[in-house]
Formats: sequence, structure tokens, C-alpha cells
Amino acid sequence: MSKSESKSIDRPNRGRRSFIWKAGAALSAVLATAIPAVSMTGPSGGKDPKKEADRLACKLADLEDEKKIRLLHQDFETLLDSLEYENLVKLFSHDGEVKFNGGVFKGKEKGVRRFFCEYFRSGQAGKKMIPAPGFELNNDSKIEVSSNHLKAKAQYPFSIQVGSPMISDSVLIKMARLQGGGILRWWEGGLYQVSYAKDAGDGNWKIKTLEYHTLARADYRPGRSCSKPIEVPLFSKVYPDDPVGPDMILSKLKGTQKV
Amino acid sequence: MNIPMHRFKYTKLSKDQIGKKLKATENGPVCVSDFSDILKGRSFKIVTKDGPVLEYSFKNKNDMTLSEDGRKKIKTGYGALTLKQMVLFSHMIPDEQRGFNVFLDLDTDLATVIEVALSSGIVQKGFGGEVPIDNREVVRQIYYGYIEKGGKNSPEKLHHLTNRIEGKGMYWKQDTGIETLEFYASVCTTNFVELTRCVDDLSYCATSDYILVNDNMFIYDRTECEFSGINTMYAVDLFTEAQIGTRLGFNEKDDLEYYMFRGKGKVVGQLAALEPFDEHGEKINMGYRQAAPASDQPAPKPVMGADRIIYRPARNLKYISEDEINRIAETKTITFTDNPDTPQAQAGMMSGNTLPYSDLLAGREFTLRYDHGPVYHYRVTDAYNLEWKNEGDSKWQKETYRAFEADEKLLFFAHMHTGSRPPVSVKIALDLTNGLTTCIYSKVGSPYYGDEVVYEAFFGIAEMDGIESAKYLRHEFTDELVGCGFTRTYSDSVTSMHLYTTPHSSAWTIYMPDQTLGMQWCAPALYVKLREGVYIFNLVEEACNGAETCIIENNKTMRAAGFGFHGGRDGINLGVIGAIARDLGQYKVKEFFGPMARRRA
Repeated sequence: MSKSESKSIDRPNRGRRSFIWKAGAALSAVLATAIPAVSMTGPSGGKDPKKEADRLACKLADLEDEKKIRLLHQDFETLLDSLEYENLVKLFSHDGEVKFNGGVFKGKEKGVRRFFCEYFRSGQAGKKMIPAPGFELNNDSKIEVSSNHLKAKAQYPFSIQVGSPMISDSVLIKMARLQGGGILRWWEGGLYQVSYAKDAGDGNWKIKTLEYHTLARADYRPGRSCSKPIEVPLFSKVYPDDPVGPDMILSKLKGTQKV
Repeated sequence: MNIPMHRFKYTKLSKDQIGKKLKATENGPVCVSDFSDILKGRSFKIVTKDGPVLEYSFKNKNDMTLSEDGRKKIKTGYGALTLKQMVLFSHMIPDEQRGFNVFLDLDTDLATVIEVALSSGIVQKGFGGEVPIDNREVVRQIYYGYIEKGGKNSPEKLHHLTNRIEGKGMYWKQDTGIETLEFYASVCTTNFVELTRCVDDLSYCATSDYILVNDNMFIYDRTECEFSGINTMYAVDLFTEAQIGTRLGFNEKDDLEYYMFRGKGKVVGQLAALEPFDEHGEKINMGYRQAAPASDQPAPKPVMGADRIIYRPARNLKYISEDEINRIAETKTITFTDNPDTPQAQAGMMSGNTLPYSDLLAGREFTLRYDHGPVYHYRVTDAYNLEWKNEGDSKWQKETYRAFEADEKLLFFAHMHTGSRPPVSVKIALDLTNGLTTCIYSKVGSPYYGDEVVYEAFFGIAEMDGIESAKYLRHEFTDELVGCGFTRTYSDSVTSMHLYTTPHSSAWTIYMPDQTLGMQWCAPALYVKLREGVYIFNLVEEACNGAETCIIENNKTMRAAGFGFHGGRDGINLGVIGAIARDLGQYKVKEFFGPMARRRA
């Protein structure tokens, strides 16, 4: 990964202005290719102007939706990075779900809330981190909007801190927990695989499923000079046996996830 | 006071009792030094951020009126002291069990207002659930503001918290004759030694705030939570090493202390801080984030005292009886399990940096003879197993043990005395070059708590082949480490600081995620010199979780190795400890301790 890419992950540009500029630039580029096509059509162009206008309108609607989805994902990452888990949950649809580490957390107000507000909060997980040295990932990002503009799928890279609270009778650990520490932290990188649905009520896009497709994990924190791969046990119990656990275990994955 | 503060049973004063005693505060505080009349005849309004608007009128140097947030004026007594451009005035509000200490910087017209209250009714969250705050504990809330002056815009920059004091240590002598050592070792707590109020050379911890005024002045407060609940706050000028302050609360005799003081002091040292260089400590960087109010909602009014987390071991931890500990020992004594399935082992929390085990004792037979103490005979089978017996016994007892080579041919080994009730463990330093040995003999169960370890150090010699032991020479207690601070990195995930505050006590402080020093607690401890730069440090977290940490620290290798021993509902556990250290510096405070330095108020 280039230095500039690394910097952009380390210190994300959370301002919308920058993104809108980029989205606007993309939009302008498409329009620039479309406008000559329009100008070529006409009485002598041989194409149906109405169909062409419909095609362009559809294309613009795609781009508008894509832009909204990117903004939604940007909000998601910003809220996650600032550990605003409560607000993050609001971005999901009522039947939303999260797949993480072999478990499925189902339902916005139950599973998704438990995942972010309890499981992630206890480990202060989700903050952006530069990729661990030697584990740099490709920056693949794509969005596909359905033809009826009611559903979409997307994929974005992630590079985040994940953590788990230390459980111990040690006074040191207990004191650390009181002041927000006492957490085992590591780095995870991979791809968010997300599906979206347009809310029938307000017409806004919501996250329907969010899957953390983890490609690498490493014992790493910013500032360290080296990192090594680690294994993390998969979820083995469901809620309520595990008070912060998933609603369902993905049966194809069991034991330890080695990536 | 000859009962250590952590053992003293402070009275649970009722709100009524406190209200009656606070009547005396209506006349204002007292002071050995003369009060200042700098405020006489002046009136001004202090505007604070997210806090009250206070309109003051000062009739003379003892009487004033206050209107709080435009409400009806109240009359009360006050006192004021000055330190350079800084004015501190203090008053209580009649019949309300609360008052204000106001620090004014007349150069900038900035003000730090610290509201103090008793009988707060606050319930805080702790380890074991909700903890109601004692009525006698002074609760504080800090508001930053300025003196409003017509035609002037409000200042952009107010006083604020700082980490620039972190690591500093000071000796103070008030005009009352009271002397203290105060180690500002963290951004939110203090380690303090009462050189005159208490007869023991022990340090204690108190929750604190450090507020920057300018490059040489700061404002400080501490509340002795878990002890008397008394509050001390002052402004310091580091150029002249002088202070002006107030003290409010009830002492161990339940007498009201409400006075102002001047003090002179000296900086006794500065420990290194490890947070990032671009971190200035304007907020306490707890690792978690409070939920932000919705953008269309106003910021909530600060809840008195809610912005600080206070370590309350005496109330947060649940104690168990000696009988219960003995029952637990029957079924659940865990010795050097090295069980990779335990959560602790998986996390590598406290033993990730242990030294390798040593087999230097394997195959040896020897006797350890301690002065006025036990005599142990040993037959060591291999690197993990041995047999021992007391002198005079015929039966050998098998134990598992672990040994570290803490310095060249200096062994530190430990094992349980299986079957002993109460449960006993020994941690033994044995110098194979000269036969000197020290035994830290520990058992679970103190006169105070069934799960609190108590310990004793015995000095002696070894009788073994190839060693000619001294007749008189022994290891000995030492004060060489007094004032030293070291990091202890037990694993990549757990680091704390040991601060050796006095010859008989030590503090441990937890680093925050950005390596700022945060929560702190302390306990009595002992120090034994084994060799140049090599020491035993033994501490039990008294009136806390009762666990013992017994390490040899080698300041040549900056490694610590040893053993942890504790009893609790999870069983009796003797385990290994290891840490990598960094030297943080040393306070020059040895002169304040020992019989020759004894002070009286």
C-alpha cells in the first residue's frame, strides 16, 4: 500500500465536503460522456430521444443512490470510529443483521444493538487503524444498485481495531477496566460485505446485512514496529448463554478462525 | 494518628450531624496566616462555562454576599489569600452543606470555581454494583470561567486540566505546621504521605485534579475518598515553591476542619511521563466515550462529581471469612498450573514476561536456617518438584515449585506448604555464591479479612555443599528504592507503574490506553536488598483484594520475576509473575523517613 493510502486510512477524511467533491467529480465525468451522446442524438441521430432520456435518468438515479449509499457507509465508519455505537444502530433496517466471527446477530433492536452497544463497546472495537505491517490489503470497493432502486449490495475494505475485555480477578485489570482499559486489542482487516434496502417509510437507505469478511488478524497496535498473525476463537455460544453473543452460530464455521 | 488510614473505621456521619457541625462555617474559614483584604469593597460577576453565574460583593475581608444564577443574595463569611496574581477565596453557603472555592487570576481575569458539597447523595458505579458515597466525603465540581467586565468579550481560552504536573513530587509545610509529601504521579490521583498527621511512614492515594493556570502556576485538589473524605485544594507557584489553599471536611475524630493555609515547599523530583508528546492532558483520556447528546439537545448540566471515576477498593471488593477461605483451600488450591486454557494464560496478562524457569536447584539437598524463624530442609528432585520438612520433623512433604535465576546464581523459588491451615506459601531468595537467604513467609487470612494475605520476612543462611555461609552477615531491609518509579510490563497488554513511596509502602498506577498514568492505589510493602541493584519487593494489597506480589527486581537487567499469592472464591493461588521494567526516575525523599525524621504537628 502506498504511503498516501496508508495515511488516508489512518486519518480518514470524515468531512463530507471531500467525499461530495469526489462523488461530484465522478458524476461530472459520467455526464461529460453522456452529453455528447445527447447532442449527437436528434432528428438525424437515429435514436429515440425519450428512451435516451430515460436511460440517462436511470443512470443518474443509479449514481444518486450510489452516492447516498457511500454517504451512509461513510456515516457508518465515522460513528464506528468515534465509538458512537448507539447512533450506529440507527443506520440499520428493523430486520438488519450483522455477521461477525462465526455468529449472526439478528434484528436491529436486539442482535445488532447487542453486537455494537455491548460486544463491540466492551472491546472498544471498530476504530479505524492502519493495517498491520505486512498485512496491507487491497482497497477494493464496489456498489451495485438493483434495477428497481430498492436494494443494493456493496463491498468496502476495513482495517480496524478489535478488542475483548480482560476477565481477571487481578486488581490491575479491574482498575484498568474502570478507566476504560484492560482490553486485549488486535488488528483486523478485510472486507465489509453489505446489503442495503430502501426504507419504505422515509425512502432512506438502511443497512440490511453487514458481514465482516475478515482476511487477516494480527497482534498489532499503532506505534509498534512489528506484528504477528493471531487466531481468535469463534463464537461458540449464543445469546443469552453468552450475554454478548450472537443469536445464531454459522454452522459451517467452528472452532478457531485462522486467516 | 497511629492507626493506618486504610485500617481506620471512619464514622458514618449523618446528614443532620454534618449540618450541625457545618454551622461554624457560616463565619468563613480560619487561617493561621492573615487573610488578605484584596477583595474588600469589590463586586464582580463570575461567568462559568456550563456552570453557575456567581455575583459577589465583598464588604470587608470576612463578610460577603453572593447571588447564584440571579437568585436572592445570601450573606456569609469568607476568607481570601493571595499568591502573586492569584486570589483564592473560600466560603460555604449557610444551611446548604455546600460552598465554593474560587481561584481568580487577576492578570487574566480567568477563574476556576470549585464547588464543594457534603451529604451529596451520589451513588457511583463500582465493581460490585452501586456504591453510595458517604455523607462525610467532600464532592467537588469544577467550573472554568472568567470575571465579566463590561465591554469585553468572553475569553476564548479558560483554565483547563493539564498533564504537565504528572510525575512531579513536592514536599510541603503549611503555616499550620503540617508537613506532607505529595507525589503527583498521575493525572487524576495523588500519592501523599502525612509526615505529621500520621505516625507511620505510609503513603495513601487520593483522587485529584490538576488545572493549569500558566507555565509556573497550577491549581490542585484531592479528596481522601475511602478514608476521611476530607478535601484539600490549593494553588501553587512553582517558581517560589509556595502555595495557598483550603481544607474542608471531617478528620478521624469527626472534628470539622475548615481552614485556609499558606505553605512553602520544594520540588523533590520528577518522574518521566510516557504519554505521547502531543498529548496535553486537557481532558482525562479514559478509554471509553460518553454518549454525546443529540445535536438538537442542549448539553446536560454537569452532575456534581460525576466526571471522575474513583477507585474504591474497600467497598468495591467483597470479602470472605477465614473459615470460608479454609474450606476453599480444601478443594481448590492452584499452584503453578501453567494451564494454557485458563483465561489468564490465554490473555498472557500477568505472566507474559516471566523469566525462564531455572533448574539450578535440581538434585541438591540443603538446609535453610532463618534467624528467629523456621529451619527448612530441602531435597530438590528436578526443576519443578521438591521435598521439604521442618527441622525435627521426620516426614518429607512433596511440593511443586518454580525457580527463577534473578541474578547470577541468585535463585528465587516458591512453593506452597500443602495442607497448612490457613494456607501458607514461602518465597525464598537463595544466593548460591554466599549462602545468604531471605524467606517471605505468607499466609492467607489477616486480623481484618479472611482473604487478605499477611507476610513476614526472615533472614538467614543456607547449609549446602560448596557454600561457606556467613555467621553474622545477612540480607537486610533497605530504603535504597524509596522514591523510585518503574514501569512493570507484565505482558503486552498489561503495564502498571510501581512507585516506591516510602520505606514501608508502595503505589501502583494503571496506564491509560495512551500511556497517561491514571488510576492509582497503594499499600504497605517491604524492601530487602539482596545484592547491589537487586532487591525483593513484597506488597499485599491491604484493604483491597488482599493479594500478594512478591518479586525480585534486578535493576541491571530491568527485569522483575517472582510470585503472586492470593486466596479468594476462585481458590488459593500461587502463580508466577514477570515483568519488563523501565526506569522512570526517583524522588529524593529518603531524608523524610525513619526515626530521625519523625515530625510532630
